[in-house]
Amino acid sequence: MSNKPILQLLIYGAVCLALLLIPAFVDDAFLLNKFARYLIFGMLAVALSLSWGYAGILNLGQATTFGLGSYCMAMALKLKTVPIHTGAEGLPDFMVWNNVTELPWLWWPFQSLPFAVAAGILVPAAFAALLGWFMFGGRVAGVYSAIITLAAMVVVNLIIVDQQSYTGGFNGITDLARFEVLGISFDAYARSTYLLVAACLTVALFAALAVTRSKTGLILQAIRDQEERVRFFGYDVARYKTFVFAASAAIAGLAGMLYTIVMEFASPTFLGVPLSLSIVIWVAVGGRQSLLGAMLGALLVTGVQGSLSESETFLSTWTLVMGGLFVLIVLFMPRGLAGIVSGLRRRGTARKAAAQQSGSVGATGAPAGRTA
Amino acid sequence: MTGMAQAQLALRDVTVSFGGFVAVDRLDLAVNRGELRCLIGPNGAGKTTTLDLICGRARISSGAIVFDGTEIHQLSEFEIARTGIGRKFQVPSVFRELSVRDNLEIGSSRQHGVLHNLGRFGGAADRERLERLAELVGLSDDLGKQAAQLSHGQTQWLEIALILAQDPPLILMDEPTAGMTAHETGKTAELFNTLRGKHTLIVVEHDMGFVRDIAETISVMHQGRLLAQGTADEVSDDPQVREAYLGSGGIGHA
Ligand SMILES: Nc1ncnc2c1ncn2[C@@H]1O[C@H](COP(=O)(O)OP(=O)(O)OP(=O)(O)O)[C@@H](O)[C@H]1O
Ligand SMILES: [Mg+2]
Repeated sequence: MSNKPILQLLIYGAVCLALLLIPAFVDDAFLLNKFARYLIFGMLAVALSLSWGYAGILNLGQATTFGLGSYCMAMALKLKTVPIHTGAEGLPDFMVWNNVTELPWLWWPFQSLPFAVAAGILVPAAFAALLGWFMFGGRVAGVYSAIITLAAMVVVNLIIVDQQSYTGGFNGITDLARFEVLGISFDAYARSTYLLVAACLTVALFAALAVTRSKTGLILQAIRDQEERVRFFGYDVARYKTFVFAASAAIAGLAGMLYTIVMEFASPTFLGVPLSLSIVIWVAVGGRQSLLGAMLGALLVTGVQGSLSESETFLSTWTLVMGGLFVLIVLFMPRGLAGIVSGLRRRGTARKAAAQQSGSVGATGAPAGRTA
Repeated sequence: MTGMAQAQLALRDVTVSFGGFVAVDRLDLAVNRGELRCLIGPNGAGKTTTLDLICGRARISSGAIVFDGTEIHQLSEFEIARTGIGRKFQVPSVFRELSVRDNLEIGSSRQHGVLHNLGRFGGAADRERLERLAELVGLSDDLGKQAAQLSHGQTQWLEIALILAQDPPLILMDEPTAGMTAHETGKTAELFNTLRGKHTLIVVEHDMGFVRDIAETISVMHQGRLLAQGTADEVSDDPQVREAYLGSGGIGHA
C-alpha cells in the first residue's frame, strides 16, 4: 500500500483513464465485449480485496452476491421484452412453459428499471449484511467463516436451480431486452457498454479506495491484524466486519448487473464455485492488500486465459498452471504482484536515502554510526 | 472497606473458575476515583485474570463488578470499553502491521461508529494530540515506522500511548515495565505519576522498586484471593505476604 495519498490517487486515476480510453484504439466489437467482461472480473477482485485484503474476511462465495446482482438485472430486462418473450400479459416465456399463470409478486417491482438497478446493489448488500451479522455477531472467523460463505453460495445456487418456474432454473434467464437509460442503448457489443463498465469500475475502485483510506478502513486493518485487541478500544468489531462485507457485496452486485448486460443472460453458473475460486486466485496473484493490484491481477489472469482459450489443450494446461501459481503465491508472495512492486519501490527509496546519508557523512567527515 | 460506597470500581465477591480451577476466589476490591492502585502477587496469583474480568475478556462465574455505579460484568468487551475502561495487556499487543501513527489513530477512539469514521480521513483533528503523545513516550521519530519494527520496550510504550490516546477514566495496566531497562522503567514511573489524579489506574507489577515509586495503596493477591492491602511498607512487613512469596525468592523477585 502506498503511503503517499496523492501519488496513489494519481496512479489509480491513470489506470482508470487508460481503461476508459481503450475504445479509442480498439474498434473490434467482440474484443470490446471481451474486455468489458475482464473489467467486470476486475470489479469482483476489488470487492474481494476490500473484504479479504483489508479486513481479513476470506469470502469463498463472492459469486453469490455477483449472481444476485446479475439476476436482478436479468429480471428487469426480461420484463422489458413485452410481448416478444413475455407474451402480452408480461409473463416471461419460461413461466408459461412451467404453467405459471400470473406474474409472481417477487417479479412485480422489477417492471421498474430504476428499482431493479437499486435492487441489484441493495439485495446483495442486504444478503451479505444478514449473513455477516450472523457470522461476525457469533464470532465465527477465519476458516469457518470462509466455509460458511461457500455453503451459503451452494444453498442460494440450489434454490435458484430448484425454483425453475420463478428463476428459469438451470437455463437461467435468457432472451433479454437491451439495457436502455436516458435514451442510450447498451448493446452488449457496443462501445457504450464498454464505457459503462469502465466507468462503473472506476467508481467502484475509488469508492473502495475511500473506504480503505478512511478511519473505518484503518480500523478494519486493525481488525485483520488483531481482532480481539480492537474491541478493547470500544469498537464494535462485528459491525465493522458486517459493513465491509456488505460494501464488498454491493460492488459485486453492481458487477453482476453489468455482467448480465454484457453476456445478455443470467445463469446459475454465475453463482458457482469455479468463479468464486477464480476471484480468490486473481486477488492473490495481484495482491490482496492492494485494490489496484487485485484488479490488475484479475485483468492479467483472465486476459491470459482468454487468449489461450482458443486451444483446448492449452486451456487445461492453463488450469494446472493457475493452480500451481496460486500455491506458489500463497506460500512465497502473500502480497502478490503489488507486493513485489511496493517492495521494489521501498528498496529504491531506501537506497536513495542510504546514498544521501553516506554522501552527507562524507561531506561533513562525521564518523559513521548514528545519524539523525 | 469504608471507601466501598463511593468507589469508582468495585469487585464484589467475584469468583471465576476455569473448568474447575478457581483462578479468582471471592475477591472484593474497591478502587477510588483518581487512585493509583498497584496489584501484586506471585506468578499465577490471578492478577491478569482479575484485569480480564474487569474489561470483559473473561467472564465472572459469580459476584458483581460495578463501575461508576453500573454493573458492567454482563456487557460485551466493546461496551465495557465505552463506559471508560482501557487496558494494556501483559503481552504487549499493538497492531504490528500498521505504522505507529496509525496505531495511535486507532487508539484515539472517542468516536466508535462505522459511518462516522467512514467520513474521517487523515486524522487531521487528532494529529497534534497524537504527536504530543508520541513525544511523551519517545516515539516521535518513529511515527512512520511499522509497529513490528519497534523494540520490546518501545512496543510497551506504544501500547501505553494507545491507552492514553483512548483517554479512559480507568486504566488497567498489566506489567507495563516488563522488558524495560532501568532507565525506561524510571521514565515510566514518572509518566504514571503525572497520570495520577487525572485517571484511575490499576497497575499490575512485579518490580517492587517501580511499585514503591508510584503506589499509594498496594493490594496483594495470592491463589485468587486478596491477601493484604496497604502501603508498601505495610504489605512487605506482613507475615502472610512474606509466606506467599517464600517459594519465589521473596517479594520483588517473583
Ligand atoms: N483461560 C484460562 N483457562 C484456564 N486457566 C487459566 C486461564 N487463565 C488463567 N488461568 C490460570 O489462572 C491462574 C491465574 O492466572 P493469571 O494469569 O491471572 O496469573 P497472574 O497473577 O497474572 O500471573 P503472572 O504474574 O505470571 O502474570 C493461573 O494458574 C493460570 O494458569
Ligand atoms: Mg499476569
